[in-house]
Amino acid sequence: MSTVRQAAITRLRAWAARRHGADTLPMTIDRRRIYILPTRFGVMLASLLVAMLIAGLNYNSNLGLAFGFLMVSLALVSMHHCHRNLLGLGVDVNVEVDAFAGGDAAFDFMLRNESSVDRCDIEIRCTPEAEAIKSVCANSYEQVTVNVPVARRGVTRWSQFELRTRYPFGWYRAWTYVQGSLTAFVAPQPLGDRPLPSADAAAGSATRSEARGDEEFAGLRSYAPGVPLKHMAWKVLARGGDAAVRSYTGLAAQPEWLEWAALESLPPEARLSQLCRWVLDSEAGYWRPYGLRIPGVDILPGRGAVHRARCLRALAAYSAEPPR
Amino acid sequence: MKLPLASTVPVSYAQLRWICACLALALAAHVAALPIWLLVTVCAIAAIRLGLAARGHSAPARAIRLCVAAVSIVLLFAQYRTFNGLAAGTALLSLMAGLKLLETQTRRDVYAVALIIYFLSLAALLRSESFWLLCYLIGVLWLTTAASLRLANSTPLPGWQRSMRYAGRILAQALPLAAIFWLFFPRFDAPLWHMPDDSRSAESGLSDSMSPGDITQLALSDEVAFRVHFVAATPPPQERYWRGPVLHDFDGHTWRRTDSRTPHAAALLPVGGEYQYKLSLEPHQHHWIFALDWPARWNLPGGILTSDYMLVQAAPVSQPLDIVATSYSHVQAVEPLSAAMRRRDTLLPPDRNPRTLQLSQQLRSAHPDDMDYVRAVLDLFRQQPFFYTLTPPALAEDSVDEFLFETRRGFCGHYASAFAMLMRAAGIPTRVVTGYQGGTFNRFANYWILQQSDAHAWDEIWIEGRGWLRIDPTSAVAPERVEHGLNDAIAVDEPLGSRWHHRTPWLADTRLRLDALRQLWRERILLFDQDSQNKLLGLLDIPEPDGQKLVIVLAIGLTLALTWLTWQVRRELRPPTKDPLIRAYDRLCRKLAAAGVPRNAYEGAEAYGARVAQLRPDLAAAVTALCRRYTRLRYGAGRQSVNPQRFIAAVRAFISGVRAFRPRRAPLQRRGEPY
Repeated sequence: MSTVRQAAITRLRAWAARRHGADTLPMTIDRRRIYILPTRFGVMLASLLVAMLIAGLNYNSNLGLAFGFLMVSLALVSMHHCHRNLLGLGVDVNVEVDAFAGGDAAFDFMLRNESSVDRCDIEIRCTPEAEAIKSVCANSYEQVTVNVPVARRGVTRWSQFELRTRYPFGWYRAWTYVQGSLTAFVAPQPLGDRPLPSADAAAGSATRSEARGDEEFAGLRSYAPGVPLKHMAWKVLARGGDAAVRSYTGLAAQPEWLEWAALESLPPEARLSQLCRWVLDSEAGYWRPYGLRIPGVDILPGRGAVHRARCLRALAAYSAEPPR
Repeated sequence: MKLPLASTVPVSYAQLRWICACLALALAAHVAALPIWLLVTVCAIAAIRLGLAARGHSAPARAIRLCVAAVSIVLLFAQYRTFNGLAAGTALLSLMAGLKLLETQTRRDVYAVALIIYFLSLAALLRSESFWLLCYLIGVLWLTTAASLRLANSTPLPGWQRSMRYAGRILAQALPLAAIFWLFFPRFDAPLWHMPDDSRSAESGLSDSMSPGDITQLALSDEVAFRVHFVAATPPPQERYWRGPVLHDFDGHTWRRTDSRTPHAAALLPVGGEYQYKLSLEPHQHHWIFALDWPARWNLPGGILTSDYMLVQAAPVSQPLDIVATSYSHVQAVEPLSAAMRRRDTLLPPDRNPRTLQLSQQLRSAHPDDMDYVRAVLDLFRQQPFFYTLTPPALAEDSVDEFLFETRRGFCGHYASAFAMLMRAAGIPTRVVTGYQGGTFNRFANYWILQQSDAHAWDEIWIEGRGWLRIDPTSAVAPERVEHGLNDAIAVDEPLGSRWHHRTPWLADTRLRLDALRQLWRERILLFDQDSQNKLLGLLDIPEPDGQKLVIVLAIGLTLALTWLTWQVRRELRPPTKDPLIRAYDRLCRKLAAAGVPRNAYEGAEAYGARVAQLRPDLAAAVTALCRRYTRLRYGAGRQSVNPQRFIAAVRAFISGVRAFRPRRAPLQRRGEPY
């Protein structure tokens, strides 16, 4: 039963994808893409309604029939209301998110209700395991975060997500497929206990007298975004000069190269995990640009959230086979 | 995160409380029909479950639930011996609702209780005729629907008033659809299958025996037995005798009818007036139908006339029944009385009521002619101090002796019984006929109401050469009873019971008007059937209406109603603006869009007008003027102007300008062809 159902759903999704093509977000749900079917409870209700009508006809009771027909009509009207709950709803989502393997990819959906009726209990379903529910008041909008668990490293794509609702009575489920491709860049889990390459180098050249790391002041540079606050030349700024940054010679100034080649003894996934650890550590550590070198990707040294994301995405996207 | 299923979401105390209230209201419609212990059990279960929920506990242990279920179901079976049929089914359903409540833990259980509530509401209506019950149960439906709205996940839940309003709106939108279903859904003449008729309400009205000696106070009920509308002429009061059970067997105290349903009724020769009438019979759970004396024709399938001219049908009258019948006020027998019937109708217990037998012999020897003898007996009632009363003294075994010689106070049954005994003692075949006599005329709707208080008993004697003759001995004592009805017959000092309102004219009028409404409800709603549907199709100018055409009309009606519903439901998403000015401008935009130049969302009226002017020079003048006028009216100082009349006039002018504006579609320009 469940496999038949599963197969039917798969075919329906594929058909819906062919029928509607790719959607551009943000989008408004139109009536042609809303599907509706009774829920299991709705089927129970339907059999109850049939029993009610048979009872009314059998007892030749016009009042019983009137009540039965009222219930039937109620079911029909509630079908329209269930359908309407999705109709004209605006949807938007950040289609690309970053995540770590074993964690969640958090997609932030925006539901925009520009009508004058409340829309209750809108469910967003990215995968069967990743759902969220929210009500959106009339002329209002709500943000809903759906956390999709991601177990494995890699670039994971979902070509569809689903909006569904069972409001008002749970007798029907209306749903729609949105062909918005959601992408999660799943970086490897940060693991490994190898020290940063620079620490190795520092240990190797401990005899060098000038090796005092970032303490060695080398002059002022003009300000650039992404500089740690403690390197700002506040006094210069206070004197009324342009924002300036103290720069240093020595190891602090030298870019940190996080290299695939430096981890030869490890299996590939462990290497990636270690590189990820290093990226996070380098970003969290002292001001020192870091670059990433893995097969096929060469990221020049830099710092900051954007740089970090670039590195992590490179790690997520790494694949052993050469790109065709 | 995965969303929880309905079968795992625990139900809250508030939700439980409301579903309990709905269940209680639905059960209230069944209070009269359900055994007390069942009601007490269900109420106790609900109270216990609510008490547990209020303290934050979940449902009681499985073992306890199973025990309660097993014991109560066994008890139920012991009481009904079946689970089939309406009464037992309703009881079982009520019990199931209670048991389900006991184990209710999740939202799905509450849904199940809601389904049971719906079915219980319907079951209450199956045997009902009451408009008020229908209203009440629609109210219960409303409440239950609002309660199931509140099972939604929405946080925070909206207030109760809002849920009620939303449920009410859904219900209101369902009403027109339901009306179309109800009007055009084909009805069947016969039930699909017969259910055991266990739920019959108590028999009412006359029974098939009569022992006036046992009754010391006649209960006068205003309950309606039937209503009659005479199609043409109305018979005079002394001919308005409605024939019920005919009693033959007398044991000295009680008259009985041994049920020999011999179908053969001897032919009768009509000699009196012919009356056609429509009889609207209330269900009384007996086989007989009260036809006017003497029934000749009727449109009741399966209705037959017994040998003593009772109109009966095979099944008891358990639902409202309408019959059109014709009767003759006077008839003459064609065939002689059969020996068996003569024997049956002259039989008397030999050792009972000796003084009456003696009196009869005296009178008979003085009046050998049958009719003379009858007159002598009636004179006896008239001249001796006999009284008509509703509170006669009780009579012993020899009831006729005691009545004739000692108490001399009684109502119709006493007189009919004594008279019949005197006749039989003289060898004249006599039978007692019970039924209704008289009635109240409802001048607001032109029909007669026969109430239980109009019940009457009279006699029929066989006179050779004439046949059966109706003699009403009560009329000898209290002629008003027959001429004007009971209220004039009883003395002023009699206990009136519930009949005081008959002496207050405006109150009586109000009752009649209400009764006319009830009759209308019965005719239009309760007895709506295939014939009524065919008439309805006739009103719609559909030739030769039949079931097939009915289904087609139903389909068309439903399509229209669903289209309306779709439009209505979607319109609520964006209710039309109330401002006539904006409505007119929207209309202008629609017209221009239809002409091929839709307004862009970012465009104001002036910009739009300018663009249209550029694209469609043929429309430029009109559109520019309209758009400019709109801008001035909408954003100018007009609304706050000191002369609102002028502003309104200007808006009106703009609206009519928009109405008159009829842009043509842009002519197709074929590219690449020389002009």
